[in-house]
Amino acid sequence: MNNSNNGHKKTFLERMGEKFPFFQRKNKNKLYLSDRQPLTLQGKIGLGIAHLVLILWAVIIIWPLYQMVVSAFNGLQDGYLVLNRNFEFSLKHFEYLFNETLYLAWVRNTLFISISTALLTLLFVSFTGYAYSRYRFKGRKSSLMAILLIQTIPVFAGITAFFTMHSILSSIFPYFSRQMMLILIYSGGAIAANTFILKGYIDSISTELDDAAKIDGCSNMQIYRLIIMPVAKPMLMIIGLWSFIGPFMDFLMPRVLLTSPRSYTLAAGLFTLVNDFRTMNQPAFAAGGLLTAIPIVLLFVSLQGQLVSGLSKGSVKG
Amino acid sequence: MKVVLKNIGKKYEGREEFTLKNINLEIEEQEFCVILGPSGCGKTTMLRMIAGLNSITEGDLLFNDKRMNKVAPKDRDIAMVFQSYALYPHMTVYENMAFSLTMRKERKSLIDERVQEAAKVLQMEENLYVKPSDISGGQRQRVALGRAMVRNPKVFLMDEPLSNLDAKLREHMRVELIRLHKQLGTTTIYVTHDQTEAMTMASKIVLMDDGIIQQVGKPDDLYMRPKNLFVAAFIGSPSMNIIKGKIEQGRFISDNRLMMITPTKTHKEGLEAFEGKSVSAGIRPERFESGGEYGDTFNVNVDVVEMLGKEKILYGKLDDGKELIISTPGHYKYQGGERYAFGYDLEAIHYFDQETGERIN
Ligand SMILES: Nc1ncnc2c1ncn2[C@@H]1O[C@H](COP(=O)(O)OP(=O)(O)OP(=O)(O)O)[C@@H](O)[C@H]1O
Ligand SMILES: [Mg+2]
Repeated sequence: MNNSNNGHKKTFLERMGEKFPFFQRKNKNKLYLSDRQPLTLQGKIGLGIAHLVLILWAVIIIWPLYQMVVSAFNGLQDGYLVLNRNFEFSLKHFEYLFNETLYLAWVRNTLFISISTALLTLLFVSFTGYAYSRYRFKGRKSSLMAILLIQTIPVFAGITAFFTMHSILSSIFPYFSRQMMLILIYSGGAIAANTFILKGYIDSISTELDDAAKIDGCSNMQIYRLIIMPVAKPMLMIIGLWSFIGPFMDFLMPRVLLTSPRSYTLAAGLFTLVNDFRTMNQPAFAAGGLLTAIPIVLLFVSLQGQLVSGLSKGSVKG
Repeated sequence: MKVVLKNIGKKYEGREEFTLKNINLEIEEQEFCVILGPSGCGKTTMLRMIAGLNSITEGDLLFNDKRMNKVAPKDRDIAMVFQSYALYPHMTVYENMAFSLTMRKERKSLIDERVQEAAKVLQMEENLYVKPSDISGGQRQRVALGRAMVRNPKVFLMDEPLSNLDAKLREHMRVELIRLHKQLGTTTIYVTHDQTEAMTMASKIVLMDDGIIQQVGKPDDLYMRPKNLFVAAFIGSPSMNIIKGKIEQGRFISDNRLMMITPTKTHKEGLEAFEGKSVSAGIRPERFESGGEYGDTFNVNVDVVEMLGKEKILYGKLDDGKELIISTPGHYKYQGGERYAFGYDLEAIHYFDQETGERIN
């Protein structure tokens, strides 16, 4: 900054160039290839600040995650998590998780609920999205509007209704468990929200495709199954993924609705490891969280390629 | 197969007016019929009704004397080529072409045979196993044709299939389509709003406007003997000069009294009934006679001369500002900003009743 008061204003790079010839040469030889305008000094400062903020943010997110991973493997942790302890690699928290808690049952419950929710959602959204996009029927506009408005009411507001619904349903079908009620709640919400998304996506697929299929001999069901569904696959995959992950993340509904720890989902089950001093084991909680994250991450990574390539190949125009 | 439309009308749900009304049309076996008309006149609607994609509000659709109004599209033995080609993006070119046969559960060997045959005719053998997104527009067009061909349909329906191609390729595909039609001999109904396509390809043109058929005939008929003012103005490029005037003592006098035409003997007979009435005279740009000296002549101030090589197009004005377009052979000497005299080829003048727009002579 001591150069700035000798009249001639120099950019940061020029000043750097004076001090370090190597820096200068490299800059002169390099062609400026970016399509954007070169940054002004102000722009550079702004960019620096933006980077700083982002890095800080990343640290705020990553540091607890890092602590979680470390504690999960730290044999010197017990009961309550204590920071800056010494580290000794051990799997004892995982052992505790599998042997002393109902972790495996929770995994099973969660998978059952997640998969059912995803399948149910996909099935119904397929019908509703396709129908809303392709058919004109009475009440089409108003029912779409209604769906949109219902979205604004939080699911939890319906909790008493859910209890009543469950008792009515289970008196008719004795096998109707609380978990199934949960599946209905999750997929109900997902169907409403995703109908919109899928309708929008199918709207962007030319109806001439439907016509061509009709002439080629497809029934309405076949048009959806053989033509529209494959074309809309990326969207369907995203919808499926979202509704699959939902039950992993939600803790409130299972906590309220499910009664015995044996029927808990992962989120609700793991919570018992940190909120009750009798069962308190924070490192095991960390270990459980870690294990839960792995399949979801893997799922995302493995589907990522398809999601992206599918989105860009959605339609063919002349 | 012979396609007959008897008194067909179409009214869309939620519309006040009929989109199509009183359509009577016969399309003979092996004909290449082009439906021509300005945008929004109902061409696509008509084609989709023949395909069975739109319902028919009134009238009868007959294929070889069999009523088809209620038959499902897949059972009509037709194939359609769409404007956007409507190729299935998730299938390869081969699967696209084979799809209709697969749906009919044909034998694999037969399907393969047909697809290979179509690919050969269309010169698409090398691209059979790529997705439609990886080939060019002209090739997609050919896949769309191939998909229609493998079904061996009785009628080809095409809705502006060339409108997405660039000018050069369009010209090329035009020739290929005609060649293909000669080779297969399938009855073809082709929709377009491009009159060059219609004039060059059709064995029969159906010119429509406003949901009504204006004229049906060979390209020659429509050009030489337009039935009404709409046809006269629509067909031909540059378009016909239409001059408003009156018949006075057996002669046509334009409203601005700058053009006078003595009809030929044959024309005179028809015009007798219009003595004193308003009549429009139509003259194609190429039917003026350069350097008119004898008979009826008129003077025109030429503003712009377009040199196209084999012909020159002169854009001029009469003294009162009425615009005229005149086409002359390219080697004639004309310059913008000059005044020239022209005569008429009297045989080639079309007279129309101004009240009804119908042709008189
Ligand atoms: N599904 C529909 N519902 C209501 N009206 C329609 C429908 N499809 C077309 N129309 C109307 O029918 C008329 C004719 O449409 P059509 O698509 O047949 O025109 P076109 O001659 O094919 O025009 P273009 O050359 O632009 O394709 C138009 O006025 C249009 O608004
Ligand atoms: Mg159209």
